[in-house]
Amino acid sequence: MKEQKTSVFKKITGNRNFGLLVGFVVLLIVAAIITPSMYSMNSIMNMLRNNAVYALLAVGSMMVIITGGIDLSVASTLSLAGVICSSLMSSNMEVPTFVWVLLGLGIGIVCGAFNGFLVGYLKMVPIIATLGTMYIFRGFAFLASGGKWWFPHQFTEGYANFAGGRFLGIYNILWIVIIVFILAGIFLGYTAPGRRIYAIGTNKESAQVAGIKEAKVTFLAFVISGALAGLSGMLYTANYSICYYGMGESYEMTAIAICILGGVSITGGKGKIDGVIIGFLMMSVITYFISLLPGLSVWQDAIQGAIIIVAVAINIFTERAVEKRVLKERGALI
Amino acid sequence: MSGETKVPVRDLAVKEKFKLSKFLVKWEMILIYILVLINIVLIVAKPGLYFTNGTIQSIIQSGMDLSPLVLGMIFILMLGDIDVSVASTMIVASMATGLSMDAGLPMFLCVVLGLIAGAACGAFNGYLVAYIKMPAVIVTISTSMLFRGIVKIIMDVNVLKNFPSFYTQLAWTNIAGIPVSLIIFLLISVVFMLILHRSTFGRKLYIIGNNPTVATYSGINVEKTKMIVFILMGFMAGVASIFFVGRMGGGVSSTMGTGYELDAIAICVLGGVSTNGGKGKVYGPVIGTLIMAFLIYTLGLMNVDANSRKILTGFILIIAVLIPNVNKQLVAAIKLKLFYANNKNIEAVNIKAAEEIKNYRDMITAAKKDAKMSESDKAAKVKKYEEKIVSVKAKCKEQTAVLKSELKEDARKAKQRFSN
Repeated sequence: MKEQKTSVFKKITGNRNFGLLVGFVVLLIVAAIITPSMYSMNSIMNMLRNNAVYALLAVGSMMVIITGGIDLSVASTLSLAGVICSSLMSSNMEVPTFVWVLLGLGIGIVCGAFNGFLVGYLKMVPIIATLGTMYIFRGFAFLASGGKWWFPHQFTEGYANFAGGRFLGIYNILWIVIIVFILAGIFLGYTAPGRRIYAIGTNKESAQVAGIKEAKVTFLAFVISGALAGLSGMLYTANYSICYYGMGESYEMTAIAICILGGVSITGGKGKIDGVIIGFLMMSVITYFISLLPGLSVWQDAIQGAIIIVAVAINIFTERAVEKRVLKERGALI
Repeated sequence: MSGETKVPVRDLAVKEKFKLSKFLVKWEMILIYILVLINIVLIVAKPGLYFTNGTIQSIIQSGMDLSPLVLGMIFILMLGDIDVSVASTMIVASMATGLSMDAGLPMFLCVVLGLIAGAACGAFNGYLVAYIKMPAVIVTISTSMLFRGIVKIIMDVNVLKNFPSFYTQLAWTNIAGIPVSLIIFLLISVVFMLILHRSTFGRKLYIIGNNPTVATYSGINVEKTKMIVFILMGFMAGVASIFFVGRMGGGVSSTMGTGYELDAIAICVLGGVSTNGGKGKVYGPVIGTLIMAFLIYTLGLMNVDANSRKILTGFILIIAVLIPNVNKQLVAAIKLKLFYANNKNIEAVNIKAAEEIKNYRDMITAAKKDAKMSESDKAAKVKKYEEKIVSVKAKCKEQTAVLKSELKEDARKAKQRFSN
C-alpha cells in the first residue's frame, strides 16, 4: 500500500479544531476592536469565573452525548444539589466545607444514577427520560428549598472561598475546572471505560458484539454527568453566595451548545476534550462580549440559539465532506 | 413452476371481529378508567364543589389551552422526531397577532398573521430537520431559545394587551353547558383522526416512523412529509396561541407559557404515542388531555403547589413511557438474571420442565372431567401423572445444579488461566 504523505500544514488545517481556533481568534479580535475594556487580567478572570459552571456541565454532557444520548436534567440537578448543600450549610455552619463538596457530588451521583437506570437499563429514550427528570429534580429542589432564598451573609467564609478564593492568583473554581478537564481527557482518551463510551456511541451493535455492556457504560456516562452537575451546584452557590431553587435554568442548553461548538457529534461517538475547552472559551467570550454591549442583553437567548444551529449545521456539513472524501479515496465514489 | 402456477388470491379481509374482552383492556379504555377514577376522587373529596354549576366546565377549559399542541405533537412523535420549541412558537404566534392588532390591521388578518407566523416557525424547524438532516432534538432546543429570544428582543418587558375579543370568549364561554374550546378541540381532533387513520398521508407517517429507509425505498418523499408535519405543528402552535391568549385573559409577555412543550409531550406519551415513532392513535392523547386537565385541577384543589405538580408531570411522563416496556420479554430477562444465573441453558431447562408440568396438569384436569372412566381408573391416572410431575421437577433441579456447578467450574478455570 502506498504511504500517503501529508504536509504539516495540511495536518494542522485538516484538524477540526483548527477551524474552531480560527473562529475563536476572529472573535477575540472583533471583541478587542469593539470593547477594548474586555482585555484586562481582572475581567478575563471574572469572565472565566462566571462561566466556570458551564464548563463542568459541558464535560458531563459531553460524556452523555458521546454515548449518543442527551442529558437535559443537568441544570435541575445543579439546582437540587445547590439548594440542599446551602440549606444544610446555613444551619450547620461548623461542618467543614469538604463535606458539602462530597454531599453535592453524592446528590449529583444519585440523580445521574436515576437517569442512567432509566436510559441504560430500562432502555428509555434519553431525551424523554431526562426531560421528565429535569422537571422532577427541579420540583424536588423547590420542595427542599421551600421557596426560600439564601443570601451572602448566610454562607460561611470557607464555603464561599472554596470557589471564590484564589490559589496562585487564579480562582479556586478555575483550578477545579482545569482538574476536571485533565481528568476527563485522561478518562476519555486513555482508560478502558472511556474508550467504551466512544465505542457505544459509534456503533451500539458492534460494541455489544465486542463484549461491551451497553447498559453499564450508558449508566456510567449518566452518573459522571450527574456527579459533575452536583459538584457544579455546590460550586454555583459558593461562587455567587446566593441560592434559590430556580437557579441555573436553561444551563443545560448552554452546556450542550458548548459541546456542539467544540465538535462533539450529537449522533454520538465523536468529540474530544480539547474541542470542548475551546468551545467553553468561545462561549464565555461570546456571552461576556454580549453583556458588555449596552442594550444587547435581551439578545442573549436568540444569539445562543442561533449559534447552536449554525454550529450543528457546520458539524454536519464537515462530516458529510469527510465521508465523501473517504469514499473518494476508496474509489467508491466517482 | 414459477410462471404458470396460479397465484392463490390473497384474502386481505380483516378476520378479527369485535371482541369485548379485548376492547375493554385497550390502552384508550384504560385511560377512560383513569379519567373516571379521577372524577370519583374529586367527587369524594369535594362533593359540594363538583356538582356546582360550572365546575366541570372550568376544569375542562383549564386544560384546553395546550390541546392543539398535543394534536400537532402526535404527528411529530409519529415520525420519531420531537419538537420542544412549540411553546416558543406559540408565543411568537401570539406576538404576531398582538403586534398587528396594535398596528390597526383588521381582526381577521391579524388572526391569519398569527397562524402564518406559527407555520413559518414550524417551516424553519422542518427545513433544518428534513432537508439539512439535523437531529430534531437539537434543532428544536435551539429554536426554542431562538424564537423566545426574538420575542424578547421585540417585546422586551412590555405586555401586549390588544387582542381580538373573540379570543377570551372562546376560552371562557359555554354553549348549552359545553365549553366552546372543547367543541373546537374535538372538531380539530376529528380532522386529525381522519388524516392519520383514514388517509394515505397518515399511513405514510406510520411507515416513516417505523423505518425511514423503507419509506424512502417505497417511494415516499420523506423530506417533504417531514416538512409538512413540522409546518402543521407550527400551524397548530398558532391555533394554540388563540386558546392560550384567551385563557390568559388577552395579555401576553415574553416569558409566558414555559413548560407547555413538556406537558404536550407528556400527554401524547400518556395517550400511547411511542416516542420512537410509528406507534399510537389520536384517541389516546385526546383522552389524555382531559385526564391531565382533571388531574392538575384536582391537585390544585388539594393544595398541591405548582412545582410539586411538575414532579408529578415528570413521573407521569416516565411511567407512561415505561408501561409498554413491561412485557413478557422483560419479565423473562429479569428471571434470567435473578434465578438462572444469567445462563440460557439453565433457563431452557427450567422452561422445558415448566411446560411438561403444565402438560401433565392439563392431562389431570382432563382425566378428572372424563366421564367414561371409572373412579378407580381416574385416581390411578391422576396418581401416575402426579408422580411424573414430581420426577420432572426433581430432574429439572438436578440438571440445574449440574449446569450451575459447570458454570462455577468454568469461571474458576478462567480465573486460573488469567492469573497465570
